Amino acid sequence: MNKNDIMCCKTFISEVEALALTFRGGVHVPEEKNTEGKAVRLFDSPKTVSIPMSQHIGAPCIPIVKKGDTVDMGQIIGEVKAGLGCPVHASVSGTVIAIEEKRNSMGMAVQNVIIENDGENRISPEVRPYEGSFEELTFEEVVEVVRRAGISGMGGATFPTYAKIQSAKDKVDTLIVNCAECEPYITANHRLLLEEPDTVIGGMKILLRAFGLRVGDIAIEDNKPDAVKLIREKVKGSDFAEVKVLATKYPQGDERQLIYAITGKEIPAGKLPADVGCVVFNAETCASVYRAFVYGMPLIKRIVTVDGDCIADPCSVKCPIGTSYRELIDFCGGCTKEYRYIVNGGPMMGAAQWDIDAPVTKGTSAVLVFSEKVKPVYEQPSACIRCGRCVRACQMRLMPNYIATFSREGKYDLCEQYDVMSCVECGACTYVCPGSVPITQLNRAAKAKINEKRKLMKGGAK
Amino acid sequence: MNGDKLVWVAPAPHVKHNDNSRTIMLDVVIAMVPALVWAVYMFGFRVLSVLAVSVASSVIFEFLFQKILRRPVTVLDFSAVVTGMLIAFNLPASVSLWVPVMGSFFAIVIVKQLFGGIGKNVVNPALAARVFLFTAWPSEIGGYVEPLSEKLSPLTVNAGDIVASATPLASLKLGETPDVSIFDLFIGNMPGCIGEVSALLILIGGIYLLLRRVITWHIPVSFLGTVAVLCFLFPQTQSVQAYEFMFMELFSGGLMLGAVFMATDYATSPVTSSGRVIYGIGCGAITVFIRYFGGYSEGVSFAILIMNLLVWYIDKATRPKPFGYIPKKKEVK
Ligand code: SF4
Ligand code: SF4
Repeated sequence: MNKNDIMCCKTFISEVEALALTFRGGVHVPEEKNTEGKAVRLFDSPKTVSIPMSQHIGAPCIPIVKKGDTVDMGQIIGEVKAGLGCPVHASVSGTVIAIEEKRNSMGMAVQNVIIENDGENRISPEVRPYEGSFEELTFEEVVEVVRRAGISGMGGATFPTYAKIQSAKDKVDTLIVNCAECEPYITANHRLLLEEPDTVIGGMKILLRAFGLRVGDIAIEDNKPDAVKLIREKVKGSDFAEVKVLATKYPQGDERQLIYAITGKEIPAGKLPADVGCVVFNAETCASVYRAFVYGMPLIKRIVTVDGDCIADPCSVKCPIGTSYRELIDFCGGCTKEYRYIVNGGPMMGAAQWDIDAPVTKGTSAVLVFSEKVKPVYEQPSACIRCGRCVRACQMRLMPNYIATFSREGKYDLCEQYDVMSCVECGACTYVCPGSVPITQLNRAAKAKINEKRKLMKGGAK
Repeated sequence: MNGDKLVWVAPAPHVKHNDNSRTIMLDVVIAMVPALVWAVYMFGFRVLSVLAVSVASSVIFEFLFQKILRRPVTVLDFSAVVTGMLIAFNLPASVSLWVPVMGSFFAIVIVKQLFGGIGKNVVNPALAARVFLFTAWPSEIGGYVEPLSEKLSPLTVNAGDIVASATPLASLKLGETPDVSIFDLFIGNMPGCIGEVSALLILIGGIYLLLRRVITWHIPVSFLGTVAVLCFLFPQTQSVQAYEFMFMELFSGGLMLGAVFMATDYATSPVTSSGRVIYGIGCGAITVFIRYFGGYSEGVSFAILIMNLLVWYIDKATRPKPFGYIPKKKEVK
């Protein structure tokens, strides 16, 4: 039996024993949590930081500083003028040396404010703790503080958190803190839970109050027994939090599957968690909410797991937003081999990066650097042998093999019939496929085509 | 750090499970080894020549076909090896050596490659070849045991040099009790095709495949279960107990081989779990039907082939409801 099989058995046993909650489908990916035993290291002295004005879903920010300005930590440097979005803050103190356009990992041109760090860590006078009483927090206040702190989902989806709170107003009865962290390698949330459990719990309390809820769930996968134990101890005797233990399986941290595992509710296709009365926050997002209230500190730092077979000393690092991968990697001992593959986020859903000088953003939970050991999936010759593994792996209960075949043949109507639009691009099907079919990639292509067509049809109807 | 070397920028996911077509096919080959060793023990080393001819010709036909049509050559995925082995498994040890060559040609060129290669064939190549050979050269296939086995195998008990009609399945069909005990049927002490005689060793291979997650339980269990239930409820002969009849039916003929190695062929079985159960039940029911009422004593091949043709429909019918499925309202225009 290989490592994977053993993991499967272990999970199976734990499912039976502890009745760990889970969902249907999914896959067991080798966890590679090499950094879970290592304390988070603080890296606060990058030479420069390059802060993108668009780090969240929604409208990009407009820089409100100029070249040559002196900025302090926590000072707002980019504001959203209209629409969805939250401000961006300086993550170090220093001088703005340039404002320039760079392409991000999606290929979009985004303005970056580049700040030279003066190493003084001056904190901006804008940074002020919340002064009112926590007991009397109103919903609007929470929304405003969270928006001003520039907090957006830190699990990777980067949806502005204030907007999530707003959209869930008066709809939710279940609040879940997502500490599943199901992607391989990443241990940022795990370490956060172990080292700063109070910030997570505190942030959760504030959010609970905003929604007028009494109890929230803290969801942790059962591969982090130490975190489960610690949090259980922390919330013992109080009645506002319940620790829910989840089976270790990818993609357990997906909002839909998390909600399904805990409440048994399925979010209807195209709807939001709030539509089934749930709202989910990432653990580090909660911690940021806590800091925004207690210290007034906006989201300017985050924990990033730096790992991959090239990294000399893999560990999780807390660093200012805008730190370049290069400096981060050097901080972790540099590369031991030639790198060939850089991933922002987990290996299942993260985006490959072409630029080693790319900055850490609010959504960067990991920076993974691989040697040529990792090859793009579609580089390999592929043929579906109809083994059915993708069908069993698909959390959305689709038939990925059929969709991929149709997509490859350009039959997008059939893709649509087979519900390709429900595909969340989790990558589980591609991961298990012994035929090396780039299923997720083909599905993504089909979705793009169908969206294009829908847009055209809408335009034509006007 | 890296000079100017380029990095890959590919869409996610970036990692893949280690299993590929080749590892899976190799597992199938490994799973067939116990039954093969037994066959050598039972029928002698001629088994290996049949096997070698069959495998070699399968691989060569695949290679030639792809070369001639300038398609990418995929013989390294081992699927042709598996097909070749299965063809040999379905032949008696005494068969003339040109027969597996004909079988391989039919299986690889006509059934597999002309339909588009691996994963695209509609029926199981090895089974189609078996039926083809059976129909075209019945006398070649019918000679189940030859004196050859006597010479080379010390274990040929009562089968001796009796031909065709002595297979236990044929006796069962005539309403007689076969002169082989259930235990002998189970371990494979009986005349038959190379790979089908030992239910025990085939099951061991099947368990290996299950543990390696190459196959799922659905097809073998529903297939064998259906046959067992039907035979138990409607035994064809009164001369033995119903359960004895059931075991005889289960352990004789190509049933085990079919249920474990043939019906579970990926390309020609459904991809959904519920579909696989339906498919298995269908195979089981048709097998019993043919064994009881058909002209042949052997029904497994036809049963699987018939179900092969339905796979696409079964897949369609058992398509799972997507997560968060909203029943479609009639479109109002
Ligand atoms: S996992 Fe790959 S080979 Fe298997 S059915 Fe799906 S697409 Fe085909
Ligand atoms: S990527 Fe899409 S099709 Fe593949 S498993 Fe995930 S949801 Fe299913």
